Formats: sequence, C-alpha cells, structure tokens
Amino acid sequence: MTVESLEEFRARARSWLADVGPLEVPADPDARFDVLRRWQRTLFDAGWVGLAWSREAGGSGLTHAHQLVFVEELVRARAPQPVGLIGLEVVGPSIDRYGTDEQRRELLPRLLSGDDIWCQGFSEPDAGSDLASLRTRAVADGADLLVTGQKIWTSWAHKAQWCALLVRTDPSVRKQAGISYLLVDMASPGITARPIRQMTGDQEFCEVFLDEVRVPRRNLLGAENEGWAIATHTLGSERGAATLRRRVELEVALEDAVDALRSRGTLGHRARAAVGRAHVAMRVLDAQTRRTTERLLADAGPTPVDSVDKLVLNEVEQTVFAEIAALLGPLRAVPGSRPAGLGSGRWAHEHLYSRAASIYGGSSQIQRTIVAERLLGLPRG
Amino acid sequence: MAEHDDLASAVDDYLTRTYDGDRRRKLLDAGGWDTRLSAELADLGWYSLAVPEERGGIGASPADLGRVFMEYGRHLVVGPQLENSLLPALVEGLTPDPAGIPAALVDPGVTHDWVDDLGTLALTGRELDGTVDAVRFAVQAGVLVVLVGGTVCLVDPDAPGVRIEALDSADPGTAFGRVCFDGTVVRRVLADGGLVDRIRAWARLLLACELSGVARGALDRTVEYVAQREQFGRPIGTFQAVKHLAADMSARSTSLNNLCLAALADADGVSDADLDLISATAKAHAADAAVQVCEDAIQLHGGMGFTTEADVSWYYRRALALRGWYGDATELQHRIGTALLTTGSPR
Ligand SMILES: Cc1cc2nc3c(=O)[nH]c(=O)nc-3n(C[C@H](O)[C@H](O)[C@H](O)COP(=O)(O)OP(=O)(O)OC[C@H]3O[C@@H](n4cnc5c(N)ncnc54)[C@H](O)[C@@H]3O)c2cc1C
Repeated sequence: MTVESLEEFRARARSWLADVGPLEVPADPDARFDVLRRWQRTLFDAGWVGLAWSREAGGSGLTHAHQLVFVEELVRARAPQPVGLIGLEVVGPSIDRYGTDEQRRELLPRLLSGDDIWCQGFSEPDAGSDLASLRTRAVADGADLLVTGQKIWTSWAHKAQWCALLVRTDPSVRKQAGISYLLVDMASPGITARPIRQMTGDQEFCEVFLDEVRVPRRNLLGAENEGWAIATHTLGSERGAATLRRRVELEVALEDAVDALRSRGTLGHRARAAVGRAHVAMRVLDAQTRRTTERLLADAGPTPVDSVDKLVLNEVEQTVFAEIAALLGPLRAVPGSRPAGLGSGRWAHEHLYSRAASIYGGSSQIQRTIVAERLLGLPRG
Repeated sequence: MAEHDDLASAVDDYLTRTYDGDRRRKLLDAGGWDTRLSAELADLGWYSLAVPEERGGIGASPADLGRVFMEYGRHLVVGPQLENSLLPALVEGLTPDPAGIPAALVDPGVTHDWVDDLGTLALTGRELDGTVDAVRFAVQAGVLVVLVGGTVCLVDPDAPGVRIEALDSADPGTAFGRVCFDGTVVRRVLADGGLVDRIRAWARLLLACELSGVARGALDRTVEYVAQREQFGRPIGTFQAVKHLAADMSARSTSLNNLCLAALADADGVSDADLDLISATAKAHAADAAVQVCEDAIQLHGGMGFTTEADVSWYYRRALALRGWYGDATELQHRIGTALLTTGSPR
C-alpha cells in the first residue's frame, strides 16, 4: 500500500475538520474535560489519533510528517487538542518503544482512544531538576512490588486511569542506576491524588500520595533498575512533540491577536511595536523548528541541540504572550473586558501559563548547562 | 541546499587560508579600505555572484550572497562588500568593477527614525540637489547610486556640481563621506519602480547575515577563551555563571543564524512587500541579538575584552556600527507591526 501524500492528507484533514465544525467547550473544568475526552474519541474513530504509530499499537502507520500536518490543521481550525496529550506525546512513545507486546496491545489502543488518560509521575517534592534523586520506593513482595512515596506537579493525575511512575528499586547504587519505570493503574488501592490550584486558576496538576500500592511486576516498563534510560526517552519525546505543536499554537495565537487588533482599528504606537516584536520572535521560532522538523523526520534521536530549541521556544513563547498581554494595560485585571479588541481573560491566562514554559520539561537553567557542556564543550564543574 | 553550503565553505576555506589575524588587523586599522583586498575578491568572482549573466555575472540569486555575508561577518571581512556585491546585482547599467572599485549607495533612507539627520535629496528632471551626510565609501567610489524618492539614478562622482568630503569614521570597517549635489546632471535615471525598496530590503537582509556571522565569530572566540583562561585554580568555563552566559550566546547566535537561513530560503522570488517584511524581520532580530552576543563576549573576556587586543572588541564595534544601518530593532519592529496591522495581511 502506498502512503497517502501529504497534500492529499492535508486536504482530507481540512475538509473533515470543516465538516465536524466548531466544538462547544464549556467553561466548567469537569464538563470541559469530558467534552475534550469525547473529542479525542471522535478524532480516534475518524483515524486522526496516533497517525505515526504502528497499526498494532492502534495507530495509522503513517509518518511523523503526517502527524505534523494534522497538528497544523487542527490548530488552524481552532479546534482543541485531544485531552490525553501526556499519553500521546509523552508516555505513549516510550511504551511503544520499550513495552512488551502484551503491554503495547493492552495499553496503547486505549491510550490513543482516550479511554485511558495517562499521567506522568516523575517529579517529587525533593526531586525536581535533580530528578534522579527521587525517593518513592518500590520493594518486592512476591510477584508484586509495593510502592510508597509522594509525587508532585503530576498533571491530570486526578483524571487519569494510568500513571507512568518512576520509583527507586535499588537504593544501594548510583542514583540513576536504581530507578525503575512502572505503569500503574490509578484505581489501585493506596493512591490519593489531590489537585493543586495553579496561578492561572486552573487545577491541572496534583500531589499524588502512594501508600503501599501493589503493582504487579509485569507492569514494569523495561527491566528492573533500568528505568532511567526510558525516563530520558520520555522526556525527549515530550520536548520534540511539544516544541512542534507549540510553534503552531503560538503562530495561530498571534494571528488571532493581530486580527483582533486590526478589527478594532485604533492602533497606537504600542500595538505596532508589540506586534512587531512578537512577529520577529515568532519567525525566530519558525526558523528554529525547521531544523527540529528535519531532525524529527530523519529520526535523528536526541541531541544537545534540543536544549537550544527548548531555550528558544521558552523565550519566544514568553515574549509573544508578554507582548500581547502588555496591550491589555490596566484592563488585564478585568477578564470580561476587550481592551484594543483583545479578550482580556484569554490573553492574561496565556501570559500566565507561558511562565511555566521555562520550568517544566527541564528548566532553562538546566538546559543552559547542557548547552554549555555538551554543545560548546565547556569543562564540567 | 548542498550547493549553498559548498559556496559558504569555499568562502570560509579561502578566508581561513588568506585572511589571517595580521591582515584583518591591518584592514581594521585602515578603516576598512584596502584596494588589494577588493581587487582580490573581484578577481575571485565573489562580486559577480549575483550579477545577471547578461551583465557578465554568474547569475545566482541575491539570496546566495547571504551565506557569503555570514562568512564575511565571522571572519570580520570589512570594506565595501555590500556595495560591491549587491549594487551590480540589482542595478541595471552597473557591472562589477574588475579592480573592486565600489559603487557608493547614496541613500538618505538608510534609516527611518534618523532621516532628518541624514540630509535630503531632490531630483528635478535630470538635475539633482541636496546632501547626504553619511555615505559608505563615497570617497572611494567609481560611481554613485543615488536613491531619491522612489527613483534610482546613476551619477559620476566627478560630474559638475558633485562634492564629496571624507568624514571620520567610528566603524572600523567603513570609510564615510558626505555627498553634496548642486544642480548635478545625472548620468542615468532607472525606470524600475520597485527598485529602491528592493535595494534597501536586500541590503537589510545581507547586513543581518553579516551580523549573524559577527555573533558567531564572537561566540567562537569566547568559547575558546573561557575554556582556557584560569581563575581560582580552574578554567573560568567551569563556573556555572559563565556557562550560562555562554549558553545564551550560543542560543542567540544559533537562532539568528537559523532565522537568516530561513529568510534567505524564503526571499527568492517573493513579492516586494513580502521581501520587505522578511528582511525587516531578520534585521530587527540581528540588530539586537548580535549586539547582545558581543556584549556577553566582552564580559566573559574580562579586562582583555575591553582592549583592541581582543577580537571581540572589534566584533562589538562592527556590530554596533551595522546595527542602525537600514534599521535597528526598534525602528524595524514598528515597521513590521505597521505592515501587519494596517496593510493587506502579508502572512
Ligand atoms: C505546569 C507544570 C506542569 C508539570 N507537569 C508535570 C508532570 O505532569 N509530571 C511531572 O513529573 N512533573 C511535572 N512538572 C514538574 C516539572 O518537571 C518540575 O517543576 C521541574 O522539573 C523543576 O523542578 P522543581 O519544580 O522542583 O524546581 P527546582 O528543581 O527546585 O528548581 C528551582 C530553581 O532552581 C534552579 N536549579 C535547580 N537545579 C539547578 C542547577 N543544577 N543549576 C542551576 N539552576 C538550578 C531551577 O532552574 C529553578 O529555577 C510540571 C511543572 C509545571 C510548572
């Protein structure tokens, strides 16, 4: 069978998205989550989820290039992303790569369809940037492991059916060497997820407490004590996929802001300068991601250049939203207002959210150290 | 793609071989004018690259010059490279001079925000009047390319009514002159309506490329320096504060390089309005990013960075001089915002 050309594929995606029309997304967070989960199901049934995944895993067996085209069309249509992004972009690729046939068969189709929402239980209160120092313990108990400890900042843990959990299985060796990667059913007794309110007002991430949670050994991803390499793979997928999606989202956000400003007509010096700065930043990101895309399509694997990408993305994302949000002036504090034609609530929210970009997925400081040591070859401290 | 890379690496090879530290320093001390270097580059055919074949050139696109300008920036090859490479490529009636004697670009519109400080020109019929107070390589030029309003004309420097005075220059790579016209009859008026904008747009884009090379050069020197300079018993490159500054320089320099490459790839054959936007975007970013990289470079060189001994101080002064030529970041951001917000959307 020949692979559908990208142009045909794009046209098909565009017309399908036009046919389903705009989606009503409620403001209430729980109702919103349910609608977006149904949306993932709709996308999945129509064959748009897991485009680059193998057919055995429930995907469409197309290429990363198709996936990119679809993301572009989805964002351009102002349609929301499927809700299970952590599964799709972060955890799923590692299960596909390192999982047993049984794990892939049982877990991946449900991950793609949105029947199972996944969360990523990596960070802990005392293990953030220094992730390898994590302390959540798993001890052998017959055929099972018993897990005790605490995770934090776990996005969507309160909604998730499954968790990709990093645990310490051997405290006696070098910190990276004693870590295992577990796939944990969130319905297991002993798990409590408590949402934390973010400065945006949303409750997307949680504290997760684990108290002697029983996990069968067959839910190890990869071998015992070999979880660190897989965790690195997971973080790498997160950066790659998110960078490319984020570029399109930012581009469309800036277009929306420009359209709003134009429709309002009154354009001060501030608006022109802000749009100019945001546009330049956006072009910088576009130029940078052309290289990223080349590497992704060539399956080049992780390189220290990914850290340059992340630094550029963070800075551009924060610049674009800071420039737009600055045009809200004092009305930033009145979410229902429309200063200069811009919906205050949306842009203030986007701006706040952009501050997380330089924290999650490896902070900007961590990326700078990687660039200096692995790209520029500066000596280690 | 591959052939562009070949061109860049051929230029890089040649400059690495022949344009060594001594020669560079001499040129910088001489204010950027060296008849031997100009003749040499003319002889190599670098000035004919983007000149159409019917005018004796190689017939590449002006975009192909971008890679060459990145190398000029990196190796600090200064002098009338822009004039010699770009003007014969775009302006009918000009051919590359075999001895590398440049045309000068007499343009009161090299900047928007300082336009009142640069002087004004008026063309009545074929008679030219007025003054431009800062013209690169005016004294050295064999012909003047004058941009007046929306018109391009060619003027002989020794025509009656032309006066050219040499000026002091703080750009180590450029000699400046003041050009005055008093009832000067121009040699030729060019009919092409979009040419003024096209010359400015390409100049802007090539200067952005040069600045990208300048940033790269300053970064490379700095990475070498911090890996070797020791304080507190170890290389200063082991200190995290130093590493992070170097990493920022690297991210800035890389992103500027990528932006210029993307702009060059996109610039070929687009409408004049799009070319304007693309070039303004590249130069807006280049103006700030290159200066910032050079400032960090000087910081990481300590006292040495403040001297003329250190290459980074030359890179910095070059970046500062090029920053405002055909628009600095502030001016161009405003121009871009205006284009996006008021004209038909040129996305
Ligand atoms: C919106 C959001 C969603 C998230 N979702 C998830 C999720 O789903 N799952 C998950 O596991 N985690 C998630 N995280 C957590 C995220 O990965 C961590 O916040 C991140 O790794 C940083 O860890 P920390 O918060 O403990 O900060 P710290 O590591 O304490 O860092 C604090 C500051 O110190 C700096 N610093 C730390 N070490 C160094 C060093 N060696 N050199 C220089 N500077 C240093 C950091 O750069 C930072 O500025 C999320 C975070 C956010 C903000």
